[in-house]
Amino acid sequence: MDSAVNKIAVAIAGCGAVAATGLGLAPLQRAVAANASALRRREAVLGKTCQSIVAGFVPEEIVESLRAADALHAGSRAYLFAAAAAREAVANAGAIWVAVPPPRRGLVLSTTKANIEALDQLVRQQPVVAIAQRQLQPALLAADLAAACDCRGPVQCVSAACISGLLALQQGAALLRRGLAEVVLVAGVDLISQFVLSGFHTLKSLDPDGCHPFDQARAGLSLGEGAGAILLARRELVAAPRLLLTGTGTSNDANHLTGPSRDGSGLALAMRRALAQAGRLPGQIDFINAHGTGTPFNDHMEALALRSIFGEPVPPFNGSKGIFGHTLGAAGVLETILCVNALQTRMLPGTPRLRARDPVAPESLLAEPRAAARLERVLKVNCGFGGTNAALILEREQP
Amino acid sequence: MSKHAIHAAAYLGPEGFGNDLTGLRPWPAPLAGPFQRGELDGLHWSLFSASDPSRFLRMDLMCRLGYLAAELLDVNFDALPDASRDRLGVCVESFTGSLDTDIRFAQTPRPSIFAYTLPSTVIGEICIRFRLKGPVLSLIAPDTSGAGALTEATEWLREGGAERVLCLGLEGLNRATAEAINLPEYLRPPAWHAAALLLGHEENTPRARPLPSGSLVEVCRRSVGMPEPT
Repeated sequence: MDSAVNKIAVAIAGCGAVAATGLGLAPLQRAVAANASALRRREAVLGKTCQSIVAGFVPEEIVESLRAADALHAGSRAYLFAAAAAREAVANAGAIWVAVPPPRRGLVLSTTKANIEALDQLVRQQPVVAIAQRQLQPALLAADLAAACDCRGPVQCVSAACISGLLALQQGAALLRRGLAEVVLVAGVDLISQFVLSGFHTLKSLDPDGCHPFDQARAGLSLGEGAGAILLARRELVAAPRLLLTGTGTSNDANHLTGPSRDGSGLALAMRRALAQAGRLPGQIDFINAHGTGTPFNDHMEALALRSIFGEPVPPFNGSKGIFGHTLGAAGVLETILCVNALQTRMLPGTPRLRARDPVAPESLLAEPRAAARLERVLKVNCGFGGTNAALILEREQP
Repeated sequence: MSKHAIHAAAYLGPEGFGNDLTGLRPWPAPLAGPFQRGELDGLHWSLFSASDPSRFLRMDLMCRLGYLAAELLDVNFDALPDASRDRLGVCVESFTGSLDTDIRFAQTPRPSIFAYTLPSTVIGEICIRFRLKGPVLSLIAPDTSGAGALTEATEWLREGGAERVLCLGLEGLNRATAEAINLPEYLRPPAWHAAALLLGHEENTPRARPLPSGSLVEVCRRSVGMPEPT
């Protein structure tokens, strides 16, 4: 391993998830293996009318079970989801977590709107329990989560549109690199709420039939909700064989607030920055998990960005939002978990809900899951409102 | 190793506005009272310049605060070579975030408002205005000091992630917006402000000065000549 990687790499110690696929990593992994979509049709109030939408809702029975187990936070789905994902990540890390004293445990939360349902209730002058109201403020949600997880080290909260998750992982790695913690729990969470639905509806960004990333007839995104959690640890705390986070990069398009740059140059810059930090060349990347919202402009822009970095052929890549929807501030964390799963199983995930690849998308788009001939390094990218872009590189530590 | 230096500093708050060159100036009399009461609708570009950019009129409160603070730095970003501008990071921190716009959107959903219901949108506006490409970071904090953004900015400089960093601490919530939904006091910022620092490495220029200790807001207030709060 080169010195650049040695200097900055941190290890993945555990993961946890709550999504439309269900509670925990296992149902998510089953959905990925089966190339299945957990998007469901449901009636929702959009504007002044009730309409049918396709989205990745966390199943109601799971919400009810989480509420029953934590009466104090029953009014804050954002907390319930994030805490459940965090508990699983910590449990998966096992002895690593237990061995680190609480003052050396950090937490970074990523979210765009935290417990936004409380705002919907306040505006409608409905009663809101105090804890749900408090967790409308993202940093207070992060503080409550840190207290529940007994993380008494540094706590941060990142809120940067749809790159929040990758930024939170970047910040978690930075806290470790700076020696401020031994382990950092990175959690991402967001909800499908009246607020969020109304927003994407007013922008006409929702595909009424559900998203079809990189499809030639794609017409918009599907929202999703849930939480992902990844425990990052100083590399030496995790037993080999290890998966490492070796590089991150961000950029801004400096172009448009709600639309991606037309040439993909901003996303390409973020990818170049991540590659540089990891000390890797494009040819060393074996798989890419794209942002892949299913909107016409985003997927086109991503295709251009990938070609500008990799040329032809682009490494195998997929879009995951057909599985559980666009989970906004949780997306970067949940989709990175899919990359971890790919590296662990050596299985490349497919692109659920893809019908016919848009010719603009590179031919290496994976429609179905398949075993990887080689899978050592993965690139994950996300883009967001405000012209933000982020990229992250995971790799299997070489013996 | 090069030390970190302030290349420019600016501050807007109920007390007035200014930068490290001008010092603090009072608001025009008709605005001073409302601003001190947290009534911020009068916070317009026209206070600083006769030519209103059309973008400014579309912006929400947080973007206006950030945009004005960045302009008030009085730095000619356009004069920087592209290579330097591509290494100029933007780091924003806030307790309040986009809450003012969130409340307005929840009351009346409109597409033109939705893009502003994110605390990071201000970064997009600033990057568009000054043609900056990042790196970028948007933090939500449990307080209004801006301390986290300043820490991150200095770390970026130390680690080589950026050559310069535009570092902003932004707090603003119209009193009427908060009162319309009876927002609890603890979710409101104690006062509004926009604090901006352009940080870089030590340079032999008249304006550059060593970065003192203190939070972002404290450093900016001191830089415009405001006395320490008692």
